[in-house]
Amino acid sequence: MEARVLKPILGVYCAAFILFLYGPMIVLAILSFQGAGGGPQFPIIEWSTYWYRHLLGMTEPGRISRLPIGDSLLRSLTLAVMTTVVSTVLGVVTAQGFRTRFKGSGVVFYLVILGMIVPGVLVGLGMALLSNLLGINRSWWGTAFVLHVVYTFPFAFLVMLAIFNRFDRSVEEASLSLGVSPAQTFRRVTFPMIFPGVLSAMLFSFTLSYDEFSRTLFTSGRELTLPLTIYGTFSVEIYPNIFAFGVLTTLFSFTLLLIYALLMLRAVRSARSFKGQEEAA
Amino acid sequence: MLSLNSVTKRYGAFTALDRLSVTIPDDAYVSLLGASGSGKTSLLRVIAGFEEPDSGTVSYDGKHLNGVAPHRRGIGFVFQNFALFPHLSVENNIAFGLRYREQEPVVDPADVRQRVADIVRLVGLEGLEARKVTAISGGQRQRVALARTLVTEPRMVLLDEPLGALDANLRERMCDELRAIRERLKVTFLHVTGSETEALLMGDTVAVLSAGSVAQIAPASSLFSAPLNADVARHLNAYNVLSGKAEGGHFHADGARFPLPDHPVPQDGAPVDVALRFDRISVVAADAAEPLDAVIPARFVASEFNGSSVLSFFRMDDGTLLQVVAHLSGPPPRSFESGALYKLAFDPRDVISFTERAA
Amino acid sequence: MMEFAGEQVQGAVQAQGGENGASPAERRARQERRTALMLISPGVLWMALFMVLPLVMVIYVSFWTQTTFTVEPTLTVDSWVRFLTSPTYLASTWATVRIWAVVLAATLIIGYPVALFIGLMVRNQTLQTALLVVCIIPFWTSFLIRVIAWRPMLGTEGAINTILLKLGIIDTPLTTLLFSEFAVLVGMTQIYCVFMVGPITFMLSRIDPSVIEAARDLGAGFGRIFFKIILPLSLPGVIVGAIFVSVMVLGEFATAASLSGRKVNLLGNIIVSQVGSLKWAFASVAGVILTTIIAAVITVLLRIVNVRKEM
Repeated sequence: MEARVLKPILGVYCAAFILFLYGPMIVLAILSFQGAGGGPQFPIIEWSTYWYRHLLGMTEPGRISRLPIGDSLLRSLTLAVMTTVVSTVLGVVTAQGFRTRFKGSGVVFYLVILGMIVPGVLVGLGMALLSNLLGINRSWWGTAFVLHVVYTFPFAFLVMLAIFNRFDRSVEEASLSLGVSPAQTFRRVTFPMIFPGVLSAMLFSFTLSYDEFSRTLFTSGRELTLPLTIYGTFSVEIYPNIFAFGVLTTLFSFTLLLIYALLMLRAVRSARSFKGQEEAA
Repeated sequence: MLSLNSVTKRYGAFTALDRLSVTIPDDAYVSLLGASGSGKTSLLRVIAGFEEPDSGTVSYDGKHLNGVAPHRRGIGFVFQNFALFPHLSVENNIAFGLRYREQEPVVDPADVRQRVADIVRLVGLEGLEARKVTAISGGQRQRVALARTLVTEPRMVLLDEPLGALDANLRERMCDELRAIRERLKVTFLHVTGSETEALLMGDTVAVLSAGSVAQIAPASSLFSAPLNADVARHLNAYNVLSGKAEGGHFHADGARFPLPDHPVPQDGAPVDVALRFDRISVVAADAAEPLDAVIPARFVASEFNGSSVLSFFRMDDGTLLQVVAHLSGPPPRSFESGALYKLAFDPRDVISFTERAA
Repeated sequence: MMEFAGEQVQGAVQAQGGENGASPAERRARQERRTALMLISPGVLWMALFMVLPLVMVIYVSFWTQTTFTVEPTLTVDSWVRFLTSPTYLASTWATVRIWAVVLAATLIIGYPVALFIGLMVRNQTLQTALLVVCIIPFWTSFLIRVIAWRPMLGTEGAINTILLKLGIIDTPLTTLLFSEFAVLVGMTQIYCVFMVGPITFMLSRIDPSVIEAARDLGAGFGRIFFKIILPLSLPGVIVGAIFVSVMVLGEFATAASLSGRKVNLLGNIIVSQVGSLKWAFASVAGVILTTIIAAVITVLLRIVNVRKEM
């Protein structure tokens, strides 16, 4: 088979694959505009925004109860912010430590990476057992929070490791040679230069934490996070209000991605300048 | 006064600096000449404190610098790639050290502005203060790198191939300016370079670095006319260096025999190296009749024009390559026939002999 | 920290006489190592306390004595015996392995041609990046929503049945699409395929096109080029992708819970239901078995290719 034939075939295949990826979400989005009396399937009996209003509590109370997303949304956002801050700090600090060679760095590397590999249900179970043993109450801001960091810190660490790999040390040395202490050098030189990486690490941490539920399931106690609320609907019959919620939360993720892209665009300018300097060398 | 005493620096199995000792005087322009891999950059990094030696001491005015953190040494460093802060403007790059240094930071913004303005004038960067360092030319970046270091008034400035990243025209201009700036500020410059022309042009004093230690340190003129050993002579890229044996006051090698100078007196049969300047050789026809004091027969290989001079290459029968420079200000150089045999004639008094082989 | 460095200076100068045998370089290296260890210790501590310790707990508790509503730290192998002799639980272990194998194969078979197109056929950098981003974007949306999105697709009155009926391919709706093992397989394949496509595309995009051209000039057909050049060079990507997919699929329970209608019970589902009924020791046994399977799978995959060397 010649490449001339193969390329268009694979192109069509690739388009079909993208349809496979997006199809369900598109169907879900369409069905979220189902009319008040319609179910979570075709046909659409009437186009409306009823289920969005239902979700936001703007409809008459009816047979179908509202999704209890208000408080859980707030919890999830708070948890994601906490996780983002801690895992980004840990990621930057640990990657900074990895710039010096030390014995056992391989073991430490795999220990950190294990955090993103180990199934959530396992660490969740372990943490629940541990808190039982120690008599600690499980809560989203305690036991669940530390597990979220276990999950997102490796991502932040890998991003920062990649950034430091390409980092020109001489810029820091220049700062030192001007009499500026290592701490000030980090604050005034290193940090501004690695900022694009920090931004990526934050985006990773936030998104992963916001969406995380298998680690949260056993560890959040009574107060549920947003994904747990959604998970709760799995066992019961579903209604188009969850589709409406799906559309909104997807839009939220895209907004986040857009903000990130805009911030990156700004940061890329300094990255480009950095490259210019290397070319001059 | 900076002294290095028996400094050794190894990277794994490779010895970059081998028991190197040298003293750099105050208020001087010292250039350090060395081929790539000779340990030039390692030396600067050890002095600046970015790296510590495996043994030996670095001291300034008798005080040890070993174990002193780089930011407490008061030694400036100008990087080959400039290493400017890419996120800051020209002005903020220059003000960086003044503002954020650990000892005696300048807190008064007016004071900072004044000092930056002074140094900007000194290095000729007026009007570019607000630019990003990415929006200026290579030469201007070089000046920012220099200004950023000089404004903090270090007791010594290390320059790591500072002209390496510039094009030829700019390099010449920067040479003059570097010397002028240094003389005005009375600070010691230690300028590392791989180019012998640059080293001799810039340095009041030139140190030749070879195989990890200083082969010779001397004023530029005396270093050039009287290299201490064959190694130094080779680094100057102005001498043909031949190895042979002494025999009855004569140099003897395959295909060459000529009288040796009176000093130093070599023992018969002892190995001896001789250096012969490129521009002290004249080329005569192989069958030339006139009596000559010293000649080496060699075959012509090729010539290249260097503007004001012609460099010609000859090969001796044993394969040794010899270079001859003819200045175009003299009589017009003859053109030679490729592969033909000629006699390279010279005055034996111009021969420099070294009885001690360099390591 | 600054004070500390000051003392170092003093110490270093005094030590010059040789009182402390270390060379300046060694002292500097030691100081840098100390700083590095200080920097990595918070992360290491976090992982040790909140990941390693919980995992050790799982192993430990799997040997505890299970009573109706609680566990007691009296060591026993009762839970293990019960698990290993129960056809139900062995069946769910088998289901986990089976679904893992099918999903792994499906993501590879479906994902590889996509990676081949994006990584090798598309040579325009911008288009390549754009296509990859299009594939990765769903990763940024809620996992649970992506699972749920399959319900209106596969249901009796779902999109697929509707389309098939309209096209006249079937007369009555297919009822086996949703709430079946098939639904779980389709859902997982779609959700995890990206993790296979990404690494393979990365490896394929690094292949020098001139190598393939040279092979073609020498008269090699596409099949030969594929098996002799493209496949071996992309193998590290396949392995990395396989590790991603395996780890995620083996630890799964949500997709099965949502799409199988309780027909598929993976080890993850066992853990969830056992925790729900406070059978901690039993959940732990399932956890340890799950860990063992995952470790075995990763070990085997890493045996195939030295990923660290090839990436």
